[in-house]
Amino acid sequence: MKNNIELQNVSKKYNDFELKNVTFNVPQGCIVGLIGENGVGKTTTIKSILNITKSEGNVKIFGKDSIKNEKEIKEETGVVLDDSFLSEYLTAKQVNSIMKDFYKNWDENKYIDFLKQFNLPTDKLIKDFSSGMKMKLKIATAISHNPKILILDEPTSGLDPVVRNEILDIFRKYIEEDETRSILLSTHITTDLEHISDYIVFIEKGKIIFNLPTDELLENYGIIKCSKEDFIRLGGKDYIAYKKGKYQYEVLTNDKSVIRNKYNITTIDKPSIEDIMLFYIKGEK
Amino acid sequence: MIKGLLKKDLYNLATYKASLIIIILFCGIAIIGTDAITIAPTVICAIVGMISLSTFSYDEMSKSNRYILTLPTNRKELVREKYILAIGATILGGLLGMLLTIIVVNIMNYLRPENIINLDYQSLIIATIGGIFGISFLQSVQIPSIYKWGAEKGRIQMFILVLIIVAILGGIYFLINKANINIDIEMVNNFITRFGIIIASISTIIMYLISYKIAYKIYKNKEE
Repeated sequence: MKNNIELQNVSKKYNDFELKNVTFNVPQGCIVGLIGENGVGKTTTIKSILNITKSEGNVKIFGKDSIKNEKEIKEETGVVLDDSFLSEYLTAKQVNSIMKDFYKNWDENKYIDFLKQFNLPTDKLIKDFSSGMKMKLKIATAISHNPKILILDEPTSGLDPVVRNEILDIFRKYIEEDETRSILLSTHITTDLEHISDYIVFIEKGKIIFNLPTDELLENYGIIKCSKEDFIRLGGKDYIAYKKGKYQYEVLTNDKSVIRNKYNITTIDKPSIEDIMLFYIKGEK
Repeated sequence: MIKGLLKKDLYNLATYKASLIIIILFCGIAIIGTDAITIAPTVICAIVGMISLSTFSYDEMSKSNRYILTLPTNRKELVREKYILAIGATILGGLLGMLLTIIVVNIMNYLRPENIINLDYQSLIIATIGGIFGISFLQSVQIPSIYKWGAEKGRIQMFILVLIIVAILGGIYFLINKANINIDIEMVNNFITRFGIIIASISTIIMYLISYKIAYKIYKNKEE
């Protein structure tokens, strides 16, 4: 499988934060979810990919160096940033007129169709749009030049479940249209990723904790609910983290079958991505 | 790409349409009231030139540079576009002021044949170039400082700069008076008439070039 995005040892040092040797790929035809708390390095990773910030390491997009081939790469890239857009004092119609001058492949008809599909007014200032409308406009703008990759930073934060679902549908459709496309989606709303992502990359304090296929993550990981005696029997290598409750222990394992076979413990719940994330962040080791 | 950036800024500046019309009306009335032909080119040039810099505030409000850097453009084009806009606005402001003066004076001369205003085109051109030179100096200082410290601090810094310039000019004037130095005004006027336009034009170009180099150097290393 070819990779559309390849990151190797990407590092960036700030006064109060450090991104350390981030390495992962975004294969063609896949949606990769970048998860983690706020402020752990998701946006810095995205900024490094897009050459918005200078960082160490190697970033290749479509197999090409992301700095040397910056303009060419950006012609084929669509980006949605949570807190940033062209201007709040523009209309959707003006956005079309501006974007025509940026992208060689800008598809005006496609953009107008998206505006109609999303019920977005063409002559209203963006500052008067709701959060959902603003996000839909950003997505319409990001997709209307038929990019090969979409890079989305927190595209669903602050949106209600109905709008979130609509937006996730757009991403699904985008990938289904052409299997050489990819999406890198950073979010702290992990429930969204359970339905659409193929891989999950989890970042904590600037470091990648795991990078796994979503199916494997949801199938193999488990939360053991057990007594203190059973917990003491568990070998340190067989679990990742635990939480001590009033009456029982909750223990996260990355291999349910080992726990079943080795310890004969059967009460193992299927965790959500959020559960897994919380164990890594809050659990004891 | 620069065309797209210019469009974005011009759409943002469209909110100043009404203010611009008021300024033009004000200048027209000022010409009628004072018979002065140098007001409009300098005032309109100054206001339009400085309005163009308010696009930095719009960019900051929407954090638009971060987004724009994800589009097929680069930091060099972003900085270049700001200079094109600033220079264009200043020249346009000067020309608009000149045109307004010519129109208003001709209408007044037609309506008041007993009180003809002498439209000295050379003085008008010198006033326009002088206005452009003054604003280009302020812009050349302000644009790099906005890139360094942001739009808000850059604006404060400009006011301080204007105050310093006024203080220096006032000081020089005071010292000349105090020292009883007689300046041959006619000689100065002759010098300005002969070389003023060339000196101001060349200085303007040099100031913008140096300013652009500094601004790009600052922005190249700035975090977005």
